[in-house]
Formats: sequence, C-alpha cells, structure tokens
Amino acid sequence: MASLELRHVSKIYSTGDQQLAALRDVSLTCRPGVVTAFLGRSGCGKSTLLNLAGAMDFPTAGEVLIDGVSTTACTDAQLTTLRRGRIGFVFQFFQLLPTLTALENVELPLLLANTPAPRAIARERLQWVGLADRGSAYPHQLSGGQMQRVAVARALSQSPAILIADEPTGNLDTASGEQVLQLIRRAATEFGASVLMATHSLEAAAIADVRIHLRDGHIESHS
Amino acid sequence: MRHWLLLLRTLVLRPLRADPLRSALTVASIALGVGVVIAIELAGRAATGSFQNSLAAILGPTDLEIVANGGVDEKLMAALTALPLNARFAPVMEAVIQVEGLGYVTLYGIDTIASADTYVKTDAAATLDNCPQIALAKDLAERWGRHVKDRVRIFNRQFCVAQIVDARNGGFIGMDIAEAQRGLQRYGQLDHIDVTVDPSESLQAVENAVRRVLPAAYEITRPGARSRENQRMLRAFRWNLQVLSYVSLVVGAFLIYNTVAVSVVRRRAEIGILRALGAARQGIFWLFLGEALLLGLTGSLLGLLLGRLLASAMVQLISQTINALYTTSRPAAIEFTGPTAVLGLAAGLLAALVSAFGPAREAMQVAPTEAMSRGSREHRSRLAVRRHAFFALLAAVAAALVSQVPPIDGRPIGGYAATLLSIVATAFLAPLVVLRATAWLRRPLERVFGVGAFLGARSLAASLGRTSVVVAALATAIAMMFSMGVLVGSFRETVLVWLGQQLRADLYLRAAGPAATGAFPPLPAGIEAALRTLPQIDALDVFAAFDFRYGPDRATLGGADFDIIRRFGRMRLLPGQERDAILRSLPGHDNVLLSEPFANKHGLHRGDAIHLALGPRQVTMRVAGVYYEYSSERGFVIMDRGTLRKYLPDQPVTNIGIYLKPGLDQNQAQRAIETALSRFPVSIARNQQLRAGAVEIFDRTFAVTYAMELIAVIVAMLGAANSLLALVLDRRREIGVLRYLGASSSQIRNMILTEAGLLGLLAMLLGLALGLVLSVLLIYILNKQSFGWTIQFHPPYVVLAGALLLIWLVTVLAGLYPARVARRLNPIQVVHEE
Repeated sequence: MASLELRHVSKIYSTGDQQLAALRDVSLTCRPGVVTAFLGRSGCGKSTLLNLAGAMDFPTAGEVLIDGVSTTACTDAQLTTLRRGRIGFVFQFFQLLPTLTALENVELPLLLANTPAPRAIARERLQWVGLADRGSAYPHQLSGGQMQRVAVARALSQSPAILIADEPTGNLDTASGEQVLQLIRRAATEFGASVLMATHSLEAAAIADVRIHLRDGHIESHS
Repeated sequence: MRHWLLLLRTLVLRPLRADPLRSALTVASIALGVGVVIAIELAGRAATGSFQNSLAAILGPTDLEIVANGGVDEKLMAALTALPLNARFAPVMEAVIQVEGLGYVTLYGIDTIASADTYVKTDAAATLDNCPQIALAKDLAERWGRHVKDRVRIFNRQFCVAQIVDARNGGFIGMDIAEAQRGLQRYGQLDHIDVTVDPSESLQAVENAVRRVLPAAYEITRPGARSRENQRMLRAFRWNLQVLSYVSLVVGAFLIYNTVAVSVVRRRAEIGILRALGAARQGIFWLFLGEALLLGLTGSLLGLLLGRLLASAMVQLISQTINALYTTSRPAAIEFTGPTAVLGLAAGLLAALVSAFGPAREAMQVAPTEAMSRGSREHRSRLAVRRHAFFALLAAVAAALVSQVPPIDGRPIGGYAATLLSIVATAFLAPLVVLRATAWLRRPLERVFGVGAFLGARSLAASLGRTSVVVAALATAIAMMFSMGVLVGSFRETVLVWLGQQLRADLYLRAAGPAATGAFPPLPAGIEAALRTLPQIDALDVFAAFDFRYGPDRATLGGADFDIIRRFGRMRLLPGQERDAILRSLPGHDNVLLSEPFANKHGLHRGDAIHLALGPRQVTMRVAGVYYEYSSERGFVIMDRGTLRKYLPDQPVTNIGIYLKPGLDQNQAQRAIETALSRFPVSIARNQQLRAGAVEIFDRTFAVTYAMELIAVIVAMLGAANSLLALVLDRRREIGVLRYLGASSSQIRNMILTEAGLLGLLAMLLGLALGLVLSVLLIYILNKQSFGWTIQFHPPYVVLAGALLLIWLVTVLAGLYPARVARRLNPIQVVHEE
C-alpha cells in the first residue's frame, strides 16, 4: 500500500478578494523506500504540497491519504498522532530548538509521543547520522551540516513512514549537502520511508527515484 | 529632527503598535508605579497640610509666641502689658475639641475686647445680647451649615455665631478666652501669648525685654513653630511612606527593562540591517532608549491622573493614621501642583531610562553582520551566571555592612540602602536560582505533567536572561509584601501582647468624645472624689497627661499613681530593669519613666539625667527606667502624680483606670458607676472595648501600606503576563516546529502554564528569602531607627501562606492568555516566517 496518496488536490489561498491557487489538481502516489524529488521555481507550490503531505494543512479540494486515511476527515488530535508516529520533517533552516542539546533535539519527538526509552533511541539515531560524540552540543556549537544531520536524526527518531525534506541542502555547502543527501537516501533504504523532498538543486534531485517538476501549482512533468 | 521623528515613528512606534497588549501592560505597570508615588505625595501633603496656623485670621499677624509646658500663667499678662514696648500681647487658649455634628475642631480662645479691631467686626454682635459669641471659619461654617446669628452648642452650652471669618486654612471656632477657659476647665491658664511688634520697634529688643519678665522654663518661639514641629514629627512617617511608594516603580522598572530587552533580542536582525544601512551606534542606542522613554512618558502621564484619583482615597487613611499615632489634624484639600507633576514625570522617566540603559547599550553593540542565534546569546547569559552570583554575594555583604550604619538626621539611610542592596543581590542571584531549580525540577515535572512541563522548565532556563529579570521583579514585589506582612503581623502581635499587659483595669474613664493623640481633655473636677465614694471600686489608677515640648519635639508628659500601677498593673520594662524596685523609686522622687520610642529618639537611658521645663521651672530628673509602649510614636515621660503636682499643681486629671472589687458582676458594676457619674460628661469603656478599639486603629493605620503592597504585586503580575507573552512571541517559530514534530495543542498549553507556574514558584522562593531579610531589616533597623519601637518577631504564617498561594495561582492564571496565543499560532506561517 502507498504510504501517501494525493488525489486531485488543490490548494487555494484567499487574500481579501484575491485568490491564489498554490496547487491545482495534483495527484500522486508515494511508496515506501522511494525518494521523490519536487523541482520547480520558488512559488511553484513545492512547500504547499509538502505541508499537505505532512498533515500540516488541508487541501481546498481533493484528498490527501496517509496510510489510506484522508487527512480532511481527521480531527486535530488525530493529525497530531499521525505526525508523531508516521511523519518526519527536515527543514531548510534546520529548525533545531536552540535551547536543547543535539541529543535532546533528537529525543524531543519521542518525548512528545511518549515513546519508551527515548534517550536510547535518540543516541542510536545520532550515531546513525555520525554525530554520536556531539550529543551534548547545543545547535549554535554545531556547523550547518552537523545541524542538518541532527535534524535528519530527529526526523527519523520515530522511524516514520514518510520523511518530508524541504530544501534540505538549500542552506549548506556542497560537501555538507552531499552528506545530508546520502543520509536521506539511506533513510529511504534502511527505514523504508517514503521520502518527499523539495529542492532547487540538481545534485539533490539526482539521488531521487522519482522527479516531479511543478509549475504554477500543477505537475508539469514526471520522470 | 524631522528625520529622527520619522525614524522614531517607523522603528519605535510601529513595533509598539504591532504589539499592543504588551505595550499596554508595560505602560500600565509604569502608570501604577507613578500613580502610587504621586498619590502618596499628594495625600501625605494634604493630610499634614492642615497644621497651618489659622489664628492669624482672627488675631492678625504675630511675631513671637510665649509658650510653656503645662500652660502659661495668666498672671504674666499684667507684667507683659506693663512693659514699655510698642507691642501687643494677645493671650490665647488653643485646643482641639469635639463638637456634635462636626467632629474635631480647633478652638481658639482669645481676648475679644483687646482684639476687637480684628475679631468681631460686624454689627451683628451687638444684636446677640446675653449669648456668648463665637466666630466660625468660613469653610467650617459652610460644612456645619451655620450662619451669623445662628445658635450652636459647644461644651454643653449655647453660643451664638457672631462672625464668619474668611480664613485660608481654616477649620476653627473662635471664642472669648474666659469662655474657652471655662469650657476647658483651665482657669488661670493660657496656651500661649502671641506678641505683635510694632514696625517702629526692634523685634530683638522686644524679645530681650520679654525674656527678662518670663520664668526660666518659658520659651519664646517664632510663629509657625508648632506647624514645623508637627511636620518634623511626621517627617519619618511621611518619608517611610514615600520610600515604600517607590517600590511599585522599582518593580515597574524591572518590567521596562524586560520589555526593551525583549525588543532588542527580537530585533537583532533588524538592528544589523540598520547598522549595515549606515545607522550609527549612538542612533541605535537612542532608538531603544526612545522606546523606553515613550513607554515611560505615556505611563507617567497616565500615572499622574491615576495618582490624583488614588490620592483622594488615600488622604483619609493617612489622616487617620496621623490622628491615631501623632497628633490631631484635619486633611486639607489635595493640591496638584506643577512640582508634583514634574516629580511624577521625572520618577517615571528616570525609571524608564535607568532600566532601558543596559538593553539599549546591548543593542548599540550589535555588529552589522550580527547573526548570533538565541541559543548562543542565552549560552552567554548562562556563562555569566557565576559572575552574577559573585555580584550577588558582594551586594549581600554590602547590605549587611550598611545596615549597621546609625540613622543620619533621624533617617534610617543605612537601612534603606541595605534594603536596596538586598534587592540588587536577589536580582543577581536570580539567574543561578532559575538555572539550578529548573535543572532539578524538569525531570520530576516531566514525570508528573508530561513532556510539556519538561519543555517549559527547559525553556525557562534557556531564556535565562529574560526569565531571571521577571523572577527578580516578581520576587521583589512578593518580598515587599511578605516583609510588610511580617512587620505588620509581628507589630500587631506585639501590640496585642502589650495591650494585654498594659490594660489591666476593668473600666477606663475619660472625658466624653473620641480620643485623639496629643489632645488630653480634662476630666471634670470632682470626679475622682465621686468615684472614691463608690462601693464597687477597689482601686483607681489616676493619670494626668498633657502635651509638652522637649527640645524641638513634642511628647506626652504624664503623672501616674505608681503605687497602684505596681500593685495592679503589669507595666513591662526593658530587659534588665527590675520592675518593682523602679516603680517604688518613683513616688516622692524626681524620677521619671520613659517610653521606649522617647528614650530611643532622644538617646536617653536608665540612670541619665533629663531636663524638663515644667511650668515656670527647669527641672532635672533622673531616668529611673524605660518601658515598652506602642500607643504613640511621640513618646511618654511619666512621673509620679505627686511629683507632677509639686511642679504643676493645677494639672487636671485626664484618664482614670478603675479596678473593681473582685467577684463583682462587671455589667452591674459598670451600670452602677455610670449612674453615679451621670452628671459628668465622661465616657466609660470596658477593658475589652479599649483593646478592640486599639486593634482597629492599628489595622486602619496599616491599610495604606497594604494598598501599596497590593499595587506592587499587581504590577509584578502584569509583568509576569507581559513576560510570558514575550516568551511565547519570541519563540513562536520553536512552538511551530514543536507542532511539526507532533506536539499536541494541550502539550503546548502545558508548556506555557508550566513556565508560568515555575516562574511564580521561583519568584516565590526568592521572594520568601528576600522577604525574610527585608523583614529583619524592617523590624530591627528601619522601624527601630524611624519610630523607636521594639517589635517581637511574630510572622502571621497562615495569612502569608494564603497570600503567597494566591499570588502563585494568579501567576499561573497570568499564563493562560499566552498559552492560548501559543496554541493558536499557525505552525506553517511561523516556521516559514523568514
């Protein structure tokens, strides 16, 4: 079964009497272990699509199905549970909590979901991203690449079915970007996650199994 | 200038407008702080302003006043008027009397024939035959609803209003001196003789000539001396109130600091851009100082209005305290003057400037390339914790040292400095307490309340810079409330115990009408003899008291029956003084007992010699002992009644304590005594009644203090809500990320409420510690140096615990709105904000 399915999804933002269609009739399916890259210019709808896929927002029309369940039919509490257990996020600007150490940042989703033995899992994930020795460092004591690796570890802490990465290398140098991309690729393989990645970068798109070009809110091409 | 204003509008006003609730909370805290300062200033002035002498309205201006303890002998007038001087001598009786339907009024008795040119000017007088005439001050006449030719009752007799006098500070009745002496039962005595010197005569020459005629113990003073004496007597009282009134402003200052600091933190990137665009460091500094000044100015202006309103409510309370503890006065009108407005504005703006200076300087140091994250800033404040703890230690040591400084010009400057330093020490200690306490508490909290609580605890420690300021502000307010609670509770308990020991008689007798400090209406002549014939009486404790001058101060001098006090009473002397032996040493000797405030104020101890002006004589007596006394700050000098009669034979009895024969029914005995004394205008109170009355006065006295403390706590609460909201807004992206990571809205709410609860708890812990230190300073240093009382340490535990619990609950409630804001943040929007 597909981890994620979008059926004729549209998203329209209303600002006063103006309406802006961020997504128009988008349908796609993401399967476990597959990396899907979304390409396109800024404003083409990549981030909107990721937010809908991550159960952070609702479509104006159509349906987003996660594990076969439509997000539109879910209550706020059900969506929270869904995000906790099934979805991991990686952001362009890392979005680590500056007041928590690297280990605590990774541990956080586990604590929020009340998962048993959170510390052990967090250590394991940090080790997986190659930062076992940096667990006690605060984000400001880490390099950009290290911060994004911590963010990947955090996103994988719950072994999610869906990993959403929004421009994961957009704020990194080439070498750090390469490291992060390898981790994302491995996440799909080793954790069996459906990876949805928005990117401008061709290097990033190169690791994807599927590349989807978006233009003005609709799918332009599929490769 | 125009550019600067434009920048101010864009960079200061707009952010303030964008955050209306927080701006309003900060302005409100300053308004409350300034409001209290202004209210105390205005109300204090109005309550003490009524001492202005209004005698000039009926006697014309005077140049000198002849006074003596126990009254001036009337016979002296003959010698004075015989002097070959171009001067007029006017005998005056002056007393505060109670008039039915009017309350307390100043009565002036003057020689109406000699003063006819200034006193009774109307023809109306001629038409009021056979009715003793009085003059009324205009505002008193209006208040009383009396006009010329009306008949009124004073001293249980009828008088006719002959004149309404237009007196500026007036609230008096003028009558002929003979009528006043008759009503006050002080025949042959005058309160003072006023001397008006003709411009052709040298004032010094007149003073010298008069001095030669006067007995040694008589004094010549300049007009207004009485008013100055009263003002001096009230100086410590007013000063203490004024100092206390600044507490709310100090708390408000903490909050301005917090607001500007948050503003700097939040707009670091903006500052960097401004610097890159060419803004000078000074410009950035003034930008943030301007923000604080704007908040301070708005708050101060509102505070002026609020202060004026609060003053109307406070003036009566302060006046009651003055009447209860010092002297009789009637509040004057509240006058809102230019200097008062300047004081309020200056206080508010200064608080704003001082508190914003640090954050503004920090803003100035932001480099154009600044990209320092919150984490690294907070990390830096964590590194500063040890340094701050060291500063706290230094401030605490300095506080301990300055607390030992003796009073300067009667003011406990060292005590106040120690108080301020203790607050500073607490503020410096706050970061360490927040860091340690949250580290200890976060795991237990997580176990009990879940991960939201863990994050809340973590977040407080992480936002150390800001959290510790709020904790310090709240702790200061709590500490002030706690220490005042301990002071008042201890004082109350001390007074209750003292009343129990002091008031031993079954019934107390005094002239009819409520008691007033500094006024000792005489009991009717013959009442003592009438009482002694009654079969119910076991013993009488007879007391003759009067207002007297001691150096530049006034106090109460009394003659008591020490034999009765020794046998029936429980008068408590200071430790190390053998009661019975001392009380036995008083009858038949020139020995006196001093009340503790009097002894402290004048630096007198047991065994010292004390020089007293008694009637015409200067007498040197020995201080036989010092006793605990809490009824009046003016102080008492007590000698045996026999000794007093030796020097002032005509001093009337003012109070009598009645000891009933054992086994008698109190009600029946009281009724029998009341029946026997029905022809005398006296009031009889039972022991319990008197105690209850004293406690009521006590509670009323501290009502103002409680009101001020309450306001300080409200200001701190506003601050707590303000700061929590700031914490939420400042971390909105982190809260958004938490939602992405699977945090439920209830977890977010728990996080903010935990922060509120912890904030309150930590503030309470620090506040309690600081409160204990301040209690000790208040009881053993500030109070002792200001008023001279020894207060036993009796904290009212239950009341304090209740108050603290209430404060804590309100702090948690203050977190509800920020928690709501946090829950409603749109995670997509806040995470992708930049």
